[in-house]
Amino acid sequence: MSDFREAQDQAHPNKTNTLMLGIIMLLIGILSIQIWLLYSALNNALDENEDIAIAAFVGSLILFFTGLWLLKYLPDTRRRVNEEEQTGSKYQ
Amino acid sequence: MAYEPKEENPPNWKRDFPIRQDEATHISRREFAKFLCLLSGGLALGNGYVVLSSFAFPDKELEGEHFVCNTSDVPVGGMTMFAIQGTREIPYILIHLSEGEWRAFEQKCTHLSCAVVYRDEVKKIECPCHNGWFSADTGEVLQGPPPRSLPQLSVVVRDEKVYVTAFNDTVS
Ligand code: FES
Repeated sequence: MSDFREAQDQAHPNKTNTLMLGIIMLLIGILSIQIWLLYSALNNALDENEDIAIAAFVGSLILFFTGLWLLKYLPDTRRRVNEEEQTGSKYQ
Repeated sequence: MAYEPKEENPPNWKRDFPIRQDEATHISRREFAKFLCLLSGGLALGNGYVVLSSFAFPDKELEGEHFVCNTSDVPVGGMTMFAIQGTREIPYILIHLSEGEWRAFEQKCTHLSCAVVYRDEVKKIECPCHNGWFSADTGEVLQGPPPRSLPQLSVVVRDEKVYVTAFNDTVS
């Protein structure tokens, strides 16, 4: 039975490229939101508005774990895929 | 230049941390994505630090009265600077607004911490760095980039001497 990882490794390079680009874009988006959260948390903490700092922290943490989870879908390098194809270690 | 590993099949750790500089210029998109994720973890940590520092180490209120100067030292419309030693030294300004009216504010602008000065011609506090203005009466921002009002201290005048205490709204 082929799992997600194998199916992805066999996919056309165009598909892996798109996937890679999509993940990187999402990660950049996550980072931007986190920078904004940190900025507002700092500003509000200085204003003695600590609730916002907690909310921002929780949000930031959730975003970080979303990013980690996204990494699971990063396509393998082509090189490794090729190597495995040549040695025939995986797809027989 | 394309990436050409000098060894035929270098182990992963050598590929990730090569000795030769020309090999180190190669960053795959996988590594970039992982790095972005690491950064995001760093930002989350930073956010945690903000929470921690504002709850575990809140800014202490000023305790007791601190002597600043004699009333005769600062003429009406004048300003003097003083500092209060604590865990860190905080600079303040004392303003003699009008006869018997005193104000004390932190001297650090809330924008980027420039030193603010009192301008008697317009009866306002000016931050010369980016043209920020504060009310000399309440410390509120009147104009410019500062996001918050200046932190204030209460001023007590007793026996011709000026003291400051932590600010609370009931003391005028
Ligand atoms: S530092 Fe005061 S206005 Fe920018």
